[in-house]
Amino acid sequence: MTAVDPETRIPDPIDLDRAEEARLRAAAGLGPPAPAPGSEYAGFELVGVPDRPPQTEREREMYTLEEGEMLLNMGPQHPSTHGVMRLVVKLRGEVVTDLDPVLGYLHRGIEKLCENATYTTVLTYVDPMDYLASMHNEHAPAIAFEKLFGIQAPRRAEYIRALVVELNRVFSHGLMVGFLALDMGGLTPILYSFINRDDVVELLASISGQRMLFNFFRVGGVNWDVNDEFLSRLGKWHGTVLKSIGDNEKLITENEIFKGRTQGMGILSGEQAISYGVTGPNLRASGVPFDVRKAHPYSIYNELEFDVVTQQRGDVYARYLQRIAELKQSLHLIDQIMDKMPHGPVQAQVPGIIRPKPGRAYGAVESPRGLYSVYAISDGGPTPYRFRMRDPSFITLQVMPLLMPGHLIADTMAIMASLDPVMGGVDK
Amino acid sequence: MDLSLLLGLGRFVLATTLLLLLTVPTAFVVIQLELKVIALMQLRLGPNRVGPRGLFQSTIHGFKVLAKEDTVPDQADRATFTLAPWMVYMAAAMSMLVIPFAPGFVAADFNIGVVYFFAILGLSVVGLLVAGWSSYNKYSLLGGLRSAAQMVSYEIPLTLSVVGVVILTGSLNFTQIINHQLAHGWNVWWQLLGFPIFFIAATAEINRAPFDLVEADSEIVAGPFTEYSGMRFGFFFFAEYVALFIMSAILVTLFFGGYLAPWPFPAQLSGFIGTLYGLIWFFAKTYFFIFVAIWMRTTLPRIRVDQLMGVAWKVLLPLSLINLFGTAIAVVAFKL
Repeated sequence: MTAVDPETRIPDPIDLDRAEEARLRAAAGLGPPAPAPGSEYAGFELVGVPDRPPQTEREREMYTLEEGEMLLNMGPQHPSTHGVMRLVVKLRGEVVTDLDPVLGYLHRGIEKLCENATYTTVLTYVDPMDYLASMHNEHAPAIAFEKLFGIQAPRRAEYIRALVVELNRVFSHGLMVGFLALDMGGLTPILYSFINRDDVVELLASISGQRMLFNFFRVGGVNWDVNDEFLSRLGKWHGTVLKSIGDNEKLITENEIFKGRTQGMGILSGEQAISYGVTGPNLRASGVPFDVRKAHPYSIYNELEFDVVTQQRGDVYARYLQRIAELKQSLHLIDQIMDKMPHGPVQAQVPGIIRPKPGRAYGAVESPRGLYSVYAISDGGPTPYRFRMRDPSFITLQVMPLLMPGHLIADTMAIMASLDPVMGGVDK
Repeated sequence: MDLSLLLGLGRFVLATTLLLLLTVPTAFVVIQLELKVIALMQLRLGPNRVGPRGLFQSTIHGFKVLAKEDTVPDQADRATFTLAPWMVYMAAAMSMLVIPFAPGFVAADFNIGVVYFFAILGLSVVGLLVAGWSSYNKYSLLGGLRSAAQMVSYEIPLTLSVVGVVILTGSLNFTQIINHQLAHGWNVWWQLLGFPIFFIAATAEINRAPFDLVEADSEIVAGPFTEYSGMRFGFFFFAEYVALFIMSAILVTLFFGGYLAPWPFPAQLSGFIGTLYGLIWFFAKTYFFIFVAIWMRTTLPRIRVDQLMGVAWKVLLPLSLINLFGTAIAVVAFKL
């Protein structure tokens, strides 16, 4: 083996940071940094403890261990943290006494990317945010930009939008059910969910050309009209979807182990949910009948009939039942949309490069995870001056420290799965 | 030295070697069965590339772990870390010694076979605890402690439910237990409470779903096995499936007549034909219960750790005591 020349070796960024810190400290006349309190135990470095003194009171409280407590680092690589989420949990035995969610492992700067893209191309960047609800991701900026430009999508386009968005909701809720069971050790429901999801994404691929990042919405309409393949697949899928959902329901809804593990667990009251800004199925599972489709109707939702289903208990089981109930509402909506869809064009006339007048616009949709909204500011240029996205998963994650302490490790996973966060949306 | 003693010793060495060699194909078969049955229940095809209809998938898995790099964490306790898989595997393999596969087809026909079996099988918890403790990993530690709590708790109802059978048959020898069932019918009919207790406790004892908390992948990654790789992990993995086979075999022996056919004819088969007939029935029944265990794994979510302890101490223990006293009183009262 040849020794690596220190001059040519690519330095580790952490070493650079430490060297820089040492240089700055030396310049300021300070000694070497003191080791963080509690970061060492019996000569071993404790994993999960920040490599610096605590910055806030909260951090000091979290990372100071009492007798019999242990920090456990779960994630970002962990079998069930729903993407690259990291949780530092403080354990007493197996009981979680405190936790510190660490976010940002999937940050891609999508807001900034969108601010450097023209209005028409922004819709291609938002797809991979909440990757289980790409259609919803595209819907909100489309609404906001149409307000900004003062154009209106044709009615047929609005119907197609509602159709694909509800199809997206069906597979997203279906996957949540599967992942909840998977995080509780049930292996089969996720497979059934994925069979259903595969049917839906093939369906959406036949209309948009893509299975995951659809890139289907356009400012002022949608990219393509429904085609024969889409319609035949839709008919075929429609015949099997209730059975595939029913298979999952039979496996878990009345399962004693499932009920024993989910009922009364991770209870989120309606007041708490409202004060934390939780929206979507998680809010409705706590008994608050707020649905953007009903409260602030967009697209064609005021022409369609559907119920805002709510549950009363606000526990993990209620959130599961909520998903199943909403899924059935979505199927009901799809029926109505197919029944009422008018003829006509699917795309309004929009110039290639648009410079809207300076102003601001807000578009909000009900995504499978809650109120997903976009706030766009135009300064008259070809790109948005500011493009802000409110992702419901990010807001929902804030209640984790409220729900999890006092429960066992196994339950933290069930609670997290029941909140159904998607890290792509949380970290943007 | 006495020739008969030497012959006995030679037979014992031969039998144990054969059994040890048998464990590996047994694990392959059970793993293959699990892969295929789970695939069937999850509407998948399952492995179908390696060999005809994917038959050699688990074999390839076995050789794959041999080829993998074997790592030991820096701060692990190297000696115990290395010893742990060996302990778990040997506990599983050695308990096979007393299983009667067919008439006269048993490696060691101890007169205290039942005691030996549960004593040896109980050793595997030591291996798991050592693995969890020596890995220098918090997930491993949690898994190791879970395994200790779980297996020690479930050993009590497990053993108590077996005592019912022992009282009924009046023997600790597996062959005599089977012979008793030849005369009086399967023990399961006399132990209607004892059998479900044994089945649940045995499932928990070998860490199968829904009691697979020790290696709950969604909670503690892989429990005590988190830091293991290569053949050491392979030993744990094999031991698990061998334990599944052994538990099914013991369940069949204790409650379902072992190698006996479900009907009394042909009553006296001897020699090679009798052995073959016994083997067929033994493996058919054993693999049926392995199938049931796999079926449970696909169907049920995992139980929580406090519920697990609750089931053991609040439900199974009182029930197994009731079963024990009921059996004892019945045996004395009716001179069974």
